[in-house]
Amino acid sequence: MTSHRDTIYPEQARILAHEAYAGDQYWMKVAAPAIARHAKAGSFVHIQVDAQRPLRRPISIMRVDRDAGSVELLYKVFGEGTRLLATRQVGEELSILGPIGTPFTMHTERSRALLIGGGVGMPPMVFLAEQMKRAKHGYLPFAIFGSEVPFPFSARPSAILVDGMPEGVIASMPLLEDWGIPSRLTSKQGYPGCHDGYVTDLARAWLDALDEGDLSEVEIFACGPHVMLEAVAKLARDYALPAQVSMEEFMACGVGGCAGCVVEVQTPTGPAMKRVCVDGPVFDAKAVFPA
Amino acid sequence: MNPDDKQMLAVDFCGLKMDSPIVLLSGCVGFGEEYTRVSGFSNRDVGGICLKGTTLEPRLGNQPHRVYETPAGMLNSIGLQNPGARYVVDKILPTLDLSETRFIANISGSTVEEYAEVARIFDDSPVDAIEVNISCPNVKKGGAAFGNDPEVSAAVVAMVRKATSKPIITKLSPNQTDIAENARRCIEAGTDAFAVINTLMGMAIDIEERTTILGNNMGGLSGPAIKPVALLKVHQVYQVCRDHGIPIIGQGGITTPEDALEFLIAGATTVGVGTALFYDPLVCKRINRGIVDYLKRHGMSEVGQLTGTLRLNQAKSACEVCKDDD
Repeated sequence: MTSHRDTIYPEQARILAHEAYAGDQYWMKVAAPAIARHAKAGSFVHIQVDAQRPLRRPISIMRVDRDAGSVELLYKVFGEGTRLLATRQVGEELSILGPIGTPFTMHTERSRALLIGGGVGMPPMVFLAEQMKRAKHGYLPFAIFGSEVPFPFSARPSAILVDGMPEGVIASMPLLEDWGIPSRLTSKQGYPGCHDGYVTDLARAWLDALDEGDLSEVEIFACGPHVMLEAVAKLARDYALPAQVSMEEFMACGVGGCAGCVVEVQTPTGPAMKRVCVDGPVFDAKAVFPA
Repeated sequence: MNPDDKQMLAVDFCGLKMDSPIVLLSGCVGFGEEYTRVSGFSNRDVGGICLKGTTLEPRLGNQPHRVYETPAGMLNSIGLQNPGARYVVDKILPTLDLSETRFIANISGSTVEEYAEVARIFDDSPVDAIEVNISCPNVKKGGAAFGNDPEVSAAVVAMVRKATSKPIITKLSPNQTDIAENARRCIEAGTDAFAVINTLMGMAIDIEERTTILGNNMGGLSGPAIKPVALLKVHQVYQVCRDHGIPIIGQGGITTPEDALEFLIAGATTVGVGTALFYDPLVCKRINRGIVDYLKRHGMSEVGQLTGTLRLNQAKSACEVCKDDD
């Protein structure tokens, strides 16, 4: 596991759009051409939410438009920092650093990508889905998103059949649907068309419906709450599948200098503390969640 | 910056020629290689870099959370995660471009002997100086920090002095009764310079869970919140250092050129920048520029002319103040 050594660009990014969604979720689009040009699925930006706050806040990237030089983010108000970010207006500038972090790695021999996003873990999965759609290799991603607050989009009944889905589980994310990428949603809140349960329940149903050949082509990618990632790591173990998980931790410098944002991982030489910012945020699930 | 302006920033720090009075602080910039991935950042903008705190054996460091934002500052408790002195000297130092700036090792130990051993390893390496972090717990003395007691601080410095001929910078803790007395003892024990101050110990609590937020329960407070404390400590240590020609790296919450100037005036020869990098990784360029502009405005030709130029008010006792009011 080598740390991410690509250039990190500091940019004064003008806010182009900033919209509130239910459940304290916000969608933001900023002008940051260098970051847009270099970001990959799994990269994040480190945002100065307010000039007087000592620490920036790491927010994962949902989409980039390289031609327009814009970056889209989706975040949820979690504490004081994100609350301040939510008050920033269109037209204001934000100091942001990015793109940061070791991104997700796509493997052509494992075309059947199972993308699992929980809450504000969805954005990097959207980025990865788009990256797979654009890749020349014919990836066949399937996305499962879970949320306990209303989804930050109007779910739509899917026109793409997915084997193994329980009856009535038909809600999908329109953006992915428009790209021809199937998706399904889960929640314990009883939202229509969503699976009443966890993302991993739906993942098991999907995996169980695959034949042995297809199953051997699956790789799991996940971002979301710690407990969800732990459950995803167990799922991957149960089906003997590779899995990459994107981790979070309180972060200071965001460039590998302070070792503040570590997660404990298992290495061939024993346990090690790896920095979420540059060694991650994407890690091998087996290293973070050993059996 | 033009060469004449650049020349104004040059400073001699206990024999080390520095191109800028800015020193990047230990624990903020890894081993000097991490920030170079930020576009526009250059190690050449600073006079020196204190490398990550290093111990004899590799250390895993503390469990997360390791950092937490607080009003005008942050708590950190990294726990000296490092790969061990031998690895740093054999594997990391050879990868650095030593022409960029002055590289200063930062050493820690759990015993006085460990400090000496780490110092010996760095003595036989290309680092320009050795900074001694005496704020570590002394395992043989019940875990109280070496730096809290002038006697023990001096013992560490004396051992390190025997182990190296490189300049020694002793990093003083603010968490003690009489920092000036500690400085006096460390000068006697052979330190060549001081770094003033290390972080102030603090805590943060999650009221819902009723737990501490940091994995290590407590951590060091840094950032603008500690600047006034640091300024006073620099002033106090300077009173002791002045007559001995012992220079000080003044540090604690410096984020602007004005902050840096305050520390220089209080008695610092160089200024440490740490937490401010987290606000703005390109802050050093801004601080250099601001110092040059100030020097010009005040008809000075070099930054060294500022050190210790503080004029104190003629302090009156409380009673005298009362009389004046009558």
